[in-house]
Amino acid sequence: MSAMVDPITRSVVQHRLSSIVTEMGEAMLRTSYSQILNSSRDFSIGICDTRSRLIAQADHIPVHVGALPWATRAIEARFKDVVPGDVFLLNDPYHGGSHLPDLTAFVPVFAEGQRMLWTIVRAHQSDIGGATHGGYNPQATEIWQEGLRVPPLRLYEAGKLRDDLLDMLALNVRNGRDFRGDLAAMVGAANLGRRRLDRLFGEFGRAMVEAAMEGILDAAEQQARQVVSGWKDGVYHGEAFLDDDGRGRQDLRIAAKVTKRGSDIEVDLSDSDPQTESFVNSSHANTQAAVAMAFAYLIDPETPKNDGALRPLTVVARQGTIVWADPDRPVTMCTSHPSNEIVEAVIKALSTCCPDRAMAGWSRRFRMAIQGEDPRNGHRFIWHMFQARPGGGASPGGDGWSSIGEWHTAGGIKFGSIEVAEVRFPLHFRHHEFRADSGGRGQHRGGLGVALDLELEIAKGALANTAGDGVRHGACGLLGGEDGAPHNYRLLSAGKPPRPLKTKEVGIVLSPGDVLEIRSAGGGGWGPADRRDGAALARDRVQDLTTQELTTDALRREDLTTDTRKDM
Amino acid sequence: MYTIGIDVGGTFTDLVAIGPDQGAVFAKSPSTPSDQSLGVMTGLAELAGKLGLDRSALLARTTRLVHGTTVATNALLERKGAKVALLTTEGHRDILEMREGLKGDRYDLRTPPPEPLVPRERRFGVRERLGPDGAVRIPLDEASLSEAIDAIRRSDATSVAVCYLHAYRNPAHEIATVERLRRELPDIYVSRSSDVWPQIKEFERVSTTVVNSYVGPAVQHYLGNLERRLAEAGFAGSLFIILSHGGMAPIEEASRLAAGTVLSGPAGGISGCRRCAELLGVADLIPFDMGGTSTDISLIADGRAMLTADAGLAGERIALRSLDIASIAAGGGSIASVDAGGTLHVGPASAGSQPGPACYGNGGTAATVTDANVVLGYLGAETFMGGRRRLDRSAAEAAVGKIGRALGVSLEQAAAGIHRMVNLGMADGIRLMTLRRGVDPRRFAMVSFGGAAGLHAVEVARELEIPRVIVPVAASVLSAWGMLASDLRYEVGRTSIGTARVGAETIRAVVAELESVAMSRMKAWFEGPVRIERSAEMRYGEQIFEIDVDLDGIELAAPDLVEQIDRRFHQRHEDLYTYASPDQEVVFVNARVSAVGDVPRINENGAIEERVGTARPKGVRTVFLGGPAEVPVYDFASLGPNHRIAGPALIESETTTILIGRTDSLRVNALGWLDIEIGRG
Repeated sequence: MSAMVDPITRSVVQHRLSSIVTEMGEAMLRTSYSQILNSSRDFSIGICDTRSRLIAQADHIPVHVGALPWATRAIEARFKDVVPGDVFLLNDPYHGGSHLPDLTAFVPVFAEGQRMLWTIVRAHQSDIGGATHGGYNPQATEIWQEGLRVPPLRLYEAGKLRDDLLDMLALNVRNGRDFRGDLAAMVGAANLGRRRLDRLFGEFGRAMVEAAMEGILDAAEQQARQVVSGWKDGVYHGEAFLDDDGRGRQDLRIAAKVTKRGSDIEVDLSDSDPQTESFVNSSHANTQAAVAMAFAYLIDPETPKNDGALRPLTVVARQGTIVWADPDRPVTMCTSHPSNEIVEAVIKALSTCCPDRAMAGWSRRFRMAIQGEDPRNGHRFIWHMFQARPGGGASPGGDGWSSIGEWHTAGGIKFGSIEVAEVRFPLHFRHHEFRADSGGRGQHRGGLGVALDLELEIAKGALANTAGDGVRHGACGLLGGEDGAPHNYRLLSAGKPPRPLKTKEVGIVLSPGDVLEIRSAGGGGWGPADRRDGAALARDRVQDLTTQELTTDALRREDLTTDTRKDM
Repeated sequence: MYTIGIDVGGTFTDLVAIGPDQGAVFAKSPSTPSDQSLGVMTGLAELAGKLGLDRSALLARTTRLVHGTTVATNALLERKGAKVALLTTEGHRDILEMREGLKGDRYDLRTPPPEPLVPRERRFGVRERLGPDGAVRIPLDEASLSEAIDAIRRSDATSVAVCYLHAYRNPAHEIATVERLRRELPDIYVSRSSDVWPQIKEFERVSTTVVNSYVGPAVQHYLGNLERRLAEAGFAGSLFIILSHGGMAPIEEASRLAAGTVLSGPAGGISGCRRCAELLGVADLIPFDMGGTSTDISLIADGRAMLTADAGLAGERIALRSLDIASIAAGGGSIASVDAGGTLHVGPASAGSQPGPACYGNGGTAATVTDANVVLGYLGAETFMGGRRRLDRSAAEAAVGKIGRALGVSLEQAAAGIHRMVNLGMADGIRLMTLRRGVDPRRFAMVSFGGAAGLHAVEVARELEIPRVIVPVAASVLSAWGMLASDLRYEVGRTSIGTARVGAETIRAVVAELESVAMSRMKAWFEGPVRIERSAEMRYGEQIFEIDVDLDGIELAAPDLVEQIDRRFHQRHEDLYTYASPDQEVVFVNARVSAVGDVPRINENGAIEERVGTARPKGVRTVFLGGPAEVPVYDFASLGPNHRIAGPALIESETTTILIGRTDSLRVNALGWLDIEIGRG
């Protein structure tokens, strides 16, 4: 450790850093323009140092966070002449980014004439150009069909906006005005962070803050290592499967070989399947982030998620595989798939290594967007489905959360009001309730998905696109628990047999009066089902969460168990 | 004739009376949690004694009694409310439990989900459906309702909430349902969403209605008891309850809208601070109320307390507009700890009142903020609470010493670290709150009240570069005092969103209807002058957060009504979020009208004698301010207008201790309050 820092000052600096990223996130939420940011909160905030180490982050979208150091590395490698007032941007997955919709802004922070830190805002853009609206293009076979590629570039030069460059960016996305608004919010939030850090350096001096930051990283490392060293040494294997690549290849395998020795964890994904022809590939940074996310879920939630906490972890992958695509391959699905399967493979591998921490599988993502015309006013509309959230996995702590989301968002996305949706779109939500029997059975039951019957009140035909996975593979059960039910979406049209929807389709034709029968996936179960508490089983029955009859064995257990969950 | 304010807190019931000739008179008596009205009646006797009267004589001469109650708050916090059944539109019975798909801590995947206030087996779908325009798509099915009523009967529920989709647009199905419930289950408390919160967004509406039914029976029962006891004791005036929005209402209204009383307690403190703002001629104040387990902060800007529609309590969403109070888990009882990485944390765990801080000598061993304050010498072991509670200094040293050893620093450094960390947490809370509201904390003054605030307010202010801290004389009973400065308020809102743009005619019609509802309600409560406040909740087309737009001063009959409202909206948006988008579609979502009955102000201070000469300390104490320092200690009661004190200094009263630092100075103002100027530290 460098200069001397007392533990109180270190605690104060850590607290400050965490309040700075919280404030940056709050500013971003309040000032961003598009719904995906201000409603669905699909953005993240971080602070890295000039060695590209993550110093602090705000808890937003877990899959973004581990990726920020890789993005910082790309900026550091490209620009050697950084001055105060500069602002940098990137999104390209082959230049430090994860996938094209995630645009990242960087603002340098100086102290006593020396460049010290970066404040960073990563935000999912509502559109990034390319062949399809919103960036998800199941038909893409190369990255140029997915959108605008932004290598590391300088957007502001010593405080002066390069407006010709901004014009070029804004012209290449579908809603240039929203894009400008969101970008202004990103830069504003990053600048807010810089101003607060300026004050921090002013108050304590550069050497003291630097020493405090080293201390903070070391402390997080110590906390993480203390947890890991309590796990059983060994070499563990886990695997998880994607349904398909949308072009006929099925059961794409993610293989994790995890070696745990002392307080170190090495995750080797080299045996994963070869890359695909479609957008179901991961960029290198995204794979690193996905493994970091899995690790973060296993250590203590209170441990700061920074470079120190991730020091016990090493990630090995092989280029040319689905977890590290060759240059110029399409990768847009990667933040959800294969991220979710990477997390699942790693946590599955470690389930016997740290059985009191590993949780069963959270669900996969199956997105759908509909575009058409609202007969009430003749307006064109595009609607993104956030309703029918899938279930979360059960854990040693208890049953899974129902209607909560996937591994990579973990309850961070709000689905919004059905009443508002019916006012704004020609949709009728006939039914939207928990989907019985969807949670994987187990000592602790997986969270439930949702059953949604959605009637289309259109007068002319409309079109739907899908992007996702998980109609064949459900969220994994763990330690004897059963898998959750996979997704099952069908289109019901009068006089026709039900048509199951695939997860990677473009241009599904919808007719007036059609009903979408959405059954979202449930989370995985934890522990053997025959160890489930009798009262919990009875409660599942009385709440119609399961339709299975109680076995005599279970009924006997129910007699022996006091119902502790009764209301007061 | 008297007016009386009563604030029932966790430990003490505070009472204030203001009579015709003298300033405010205060009394304190222990709270009686099992039936709060007992403590109220005892306190009234005590208060009467201070005025040289007996209780019935005082009550006979009292025209108005204003009361802040924590019955609903406690029922929710302790999960001791009614057994509620919920009727929903068929096919939508899980809205309450889905919570819009959100979960708190993103990295905690092992804590199971919270239990909803109404478990699924008591949530019943009823066959009916309205469209987004309020049109009936499926008529209310009486047979299906009969089944639901049978199921409620079988479930032993004691309270029912009714919330159907789009009922904010057309309440007919809910009203018909409630009529049958009243007929067939006459003993059950019922609330319907179109009455409690008739606005779009089903999660907010169902959650608010459920909370109302959950706390309603307890509130109704308590207020009934209180009214009866008061009448028996000779009270013939009007009894008003403070609601979460800071206004007051008669008890029937508080029983109907019980969910609107969950912030009744702290609301009094904010009213008190608003009154402080008036008396001081200061428009912008930050009320800073630090107690044993938590610190409540809020904002008064331009003389008005800020309201929010984003409130909740104990994890339950309550969409009724309420005072914007952020509660931070930091108080005198907050526990300090050192984690595995050697980092110091303070809170959120608290030693509460049992066992309390180690220095209370009730068996607590954890180091709390109060213990740190004892070690630092800020709290006098003999003078704390006027000497009624002796503090055990060695127990405090033992507890804080453990933290020091874990950190490898001295006892005093550990204590100073705890003091600093808790101050930072509170400063962060204030900074976030001002950021959300788009205001700069540096233009505010802070009002310090609540037992633990005085030792921290100055440092928190310094952290935020706030230049001024005010400590009123009535600091420890500010809530009860503030209640006497509350106005009557009745709020009503209506969703007017449509697929087409809302036109001027619609706005005029909706506002006129709301005004007539609000006026007739207020006229039934109050004979004095009534004024109307209008506002709208609006957003841009693609946004999902609405913002409050003040419509006061806009002429409804103006031909350019819509344009004027839009201009206000763009301006407000720019104030809050630094930008406006005048070329964007503007959506008018909710209209809102408040009828306010202005209660005449009373001179609550009486005459305060001017003191001459300089303030004299009652003694000197050695405290730790970066190092040992000799600091004069003053008795608050001995200070008078125009006294000036340069820091460092301690000012002690029976209920609180105030610390000012080396670069600070204070002046006693004409009201006898401390007015502290904060130095740069």
